[in-house]
Amino acid sequence: MGSNSSSGYTTDTRLRLQRAKGGLFEVLLVLASVLGLAALVVLFGFISFDALGPLGASPSWYIIYFATLVGPTGGYVLYVRQRPAVRKVNDQAFAAVVGGLVVSIFLYVVGDALSPYDVLFYFVMAALPPLLITLYAKYHPRRSWTGPAIIVSIVLGVGVGALIYDSVISIIEIAAAWIAFAGFTTVPALGITYVIFSIYKNKRAARRYVIGLAVGAILVVGVAMGLGIDPSFPLVLYSGAGVPSIVLVANVVGGQTDDGSLGLLGPVIVVSGIVAGGWLERWFGISGLETWVTPTLLLESWSSTTATEAGVYPQIVGSIVIISCMALLAFPIGVGAAIYLEEYAPDTGIVGRIGKLIEINIANLAGVPSVVYGLLGLSLFSNMLGLSQGIVIVAAATLGLLVLPIVIVSTQEAIRAVPDTMRMGSYGMGASRWQTLRNVVLPEALPGTLTGTILALGRAIGETAPLIIISLPTTRFSPPSGLFETGTALPLQIFAASASVISEYRYGVVAASSFVLLTLMLLMNGTAIVLRNRYEKR
Amino acid sequence: MTGSTAADLSVERDEFVQRKERLYRWIFAGCAVLTVLVTVGIVITLSLKALVFFGAVSPVDFFTNTTWDPLINGNYGVLPLISGTLIVTVSAAVIALPIGLAIAVYMSEYASPTVRAVLKPALEILAGIPTVIYGYFALVYLTPILQGPLPISITILPTPVSLAFPFFGSVTLSEYVFVIPSLRTFNALSASIVVAIMVIPMVSSISEDALNSVPDSLRQAGYGLGSTKFDVSTKVVIPAATSGIISSYVLAVSRAIGETMAVTMAAGQSPKMPYFPDILANLTNSIETMTAAMVKIAGAESLGETVAYESMFAIGLTLFGMTLLMNLLAELIRRRYREVYD
Repeated sequence: MGSNSSSGYTTDTRLRLQRAKGGLFEVLLVLASVLGLAALVVLFGFISFDALGPLGASPSWYIIYFATLVGPTGGYVLYVRQRPAVRKVNDQAFAAVVGGLVVSIFLYVVGDALSPYDVLFYFVMAALPPLLITLYAKYHPRRSWTGPAIIVSIVLGVGVGALIYDSVISIIEIAAAWIAFAGFTTVPALGITYVIFSIYKNKRAARRYVIGLAVGAILVVGVAMGLGIDPSFPLVLYSGAGVPSIVLVANVVGGQTDDGSLGLLGPVIVVSGIVAGGWLERWFGISGLETWVTPTLLLESWSSTTATEAGVYPQIVGSIVIISCMALLAFPIGVGAAIYLEEYAPDTGIVGRIGKLIEINIANLAGVPSVVYGLLGLSLFSNMLGLSQGIVIVAAATLGLLVLPIVIVSTQEAIRAVPDTMRMGSYGMGASRWQTLRNVVLPEALPGTLTGTILALGRAIGETAPLIIISLPTTRFSPPSGLFETGTALPLQIFAASASVISEYRYGVVAASSFVLLTLMLLMNGTAIVLRNRYEKR
Repeated sequence: MTGSTAADLSVERDEFVQRKERLYRWIFAGCAVLTVLVTVGIVITLSLKALVFFGAVSPVDFFTNTTWDPLINGNYGVLPLISGTLIVTVSAAVIALPIGLAIAVYMSEYASPTVRAVLKPALEILAGIPTVIYGYFALVYLTPILQGPLPISITILPTPVSLAFPFFGSVTLSEYVFVIPSLRTFNALSASIVVAIMVIPMVSSISEDALNSVPDSLRQAGYGLGSTKFDVSTKVVIPAATSGIISSYVLAVSRAIGETMAVTMAAGQSPKMPYFPDILANLTNSIETMTAAMVKIAGAESLGETVAYESMFAIGLTLFGMTLLMNLLAELIRRRYREVYD
């Protein structure tokens, strides 16, 4: 070192050169990162600019919404940020309202597409037997058979349901549609409320709440009928978003301390801002956004001649039905495989080696191009099993195989993150391997597993190539009416219409459809990221 | 425990519980084995159909014929498709690999936690954007933007120049203008750019994991010897993480090979052999990749079990073989050349 130093410190230029080199390197790294961010901004910018048309709105439109929505919300956020108790309640309030809205729209749309009677029928067939078994097991001393019996009863229930479907469904269909909707939305919502309250408070409080909420449901139906509209959607909305909100409000207001009750205002401020803005906009006759994301786009079906009449409702519902069905198929298998690999598979011996092989295989499956999964689905489900082409269940199963590696890997990571001391504690108290899994490991790993599953949904909703290969039709004019019926998906319509030479489609309808798809994707990935951040912080 | 008999104190679980535990084990094992069956299923179904195809078209013809025209004339030469895939993959890799690595180095060595908190989710969202949207973006927005300044001509030699050499006589160089030609509506360039954007997050996240797993003691040792941050990053950290970086590169290339929608929508569906001396023409013209060819065949209406239909599986098998090899290679590199620090 000593011999070097004299030459190193005397030649000033060399030092400066060194510094310049380091500086240049850092600038290059920053440039690369900025480029990555810029790509994201440019892509979202172009598509949302064309989809929303912000230039069409007059300045007063922006002023109105700034005054009613952005200003109050911003001020409220600043207020909430400094108060942890208010923030906690605020988070819960937004979760109840936004989550409730998403759930109720989902339930209504899917129920409406697949027929509410069918959904109710299969819901009852799948949910009633395990419920009865659980109730019976409460009064029976030996409970070790409950778990397997529940699984068997669900399978049996659905199987028996499929057999007696034809003779029973005509009887169910006598009832009005809203009664069917109530069967699979209001009744479970009240049931869950009852269970939660009887666990955390007492049975009397639970009974009181449920009766109150049921009276509310009857009121909703009565008002809707009085106004002459179909009570189905209001009822679903009440059960999905209303019930959790009411329960939350009652809980916070009726609690001993009222630290955070101001947090309940968050959703109120946002909703009233939107309503007030819309009212003022109409009152003063101000021109709003020249947006293509219109009710027509979201609620009508496709038109290839008039851009202003083109909608993607069947495509959106098709995507949602396919994705939910896929989740039902892929989630149990993915989680099961991850449990085996993490908790059961030994590290050594032949079985251990097979386990390693399976893990390498899963890593490879994650890298297989999605078109190849399309070919697999085509030959496996359509050619070998003889299912007709382009039906929902084939699409769901194909996408299920595609996302299986994502679900498995993220579940594995979640299970691996559960500290071994917890397992040891459970074993030490005499629990078996399955009891440890069910009571200790899986509840701990649940947030990570959910994150992975939601990411998988986000991936699947944009998948296009496999759906083209299994020849899902691009344009249909009604949502899929059953799992064994043809359906379509949103990305397929974007693909088909993107090459259109008519600029109203090219820069209008397709941009708006892409905007909808991007929003759905962002909702899912955002939920996953938020969930993960919360979970990692703990 | 006083006075109890052994039977009362049995630590054995009862028969039913034991059987239940075993049942659950088998169910979970079944789920894990299912993933292997998926791979087996891919190989078998693709091979069976591909065999039927190779019964009608000889493999030699498939791999040497230079025309791909399955739907009209029935020419099944896969070379133009492989050429299209390679053009997109190579150009995307040229863009994405350096940028991805630079982002990874920046995130792991330079960025403050705040910057990371913005950059990481942004990259995750970039990775989650559906490929059909990338395709739409490339076709409708990117190509017109790139098209703007084109064609560009750069005059390199304005006038003919005569050079006199002592022994060869004189050579006359004619005037030379370097031209970047204008883009077609469908072109490989914008497809390559969006594929690059698509794989950047993959390169950066896997490389960043590799860089992060280099122990801090190595960096401290470098600083202790008087190195600058630049020296530590380029001469200590990056070499120590080489295996992870290379495996991220291989995975990214494999992803680019299998990419379907963006290249189908932006690069078009006209299969051709590469232009050789005029390399830029490969980027500005429409091409067809292997994946795009499959989409085109699948999209053709009323196609029964014809040779064209079977050819889709032959391409699929080729594609699967290529990506499988690359994925295995990435796994191998990561395992074999990983530096283990304890």
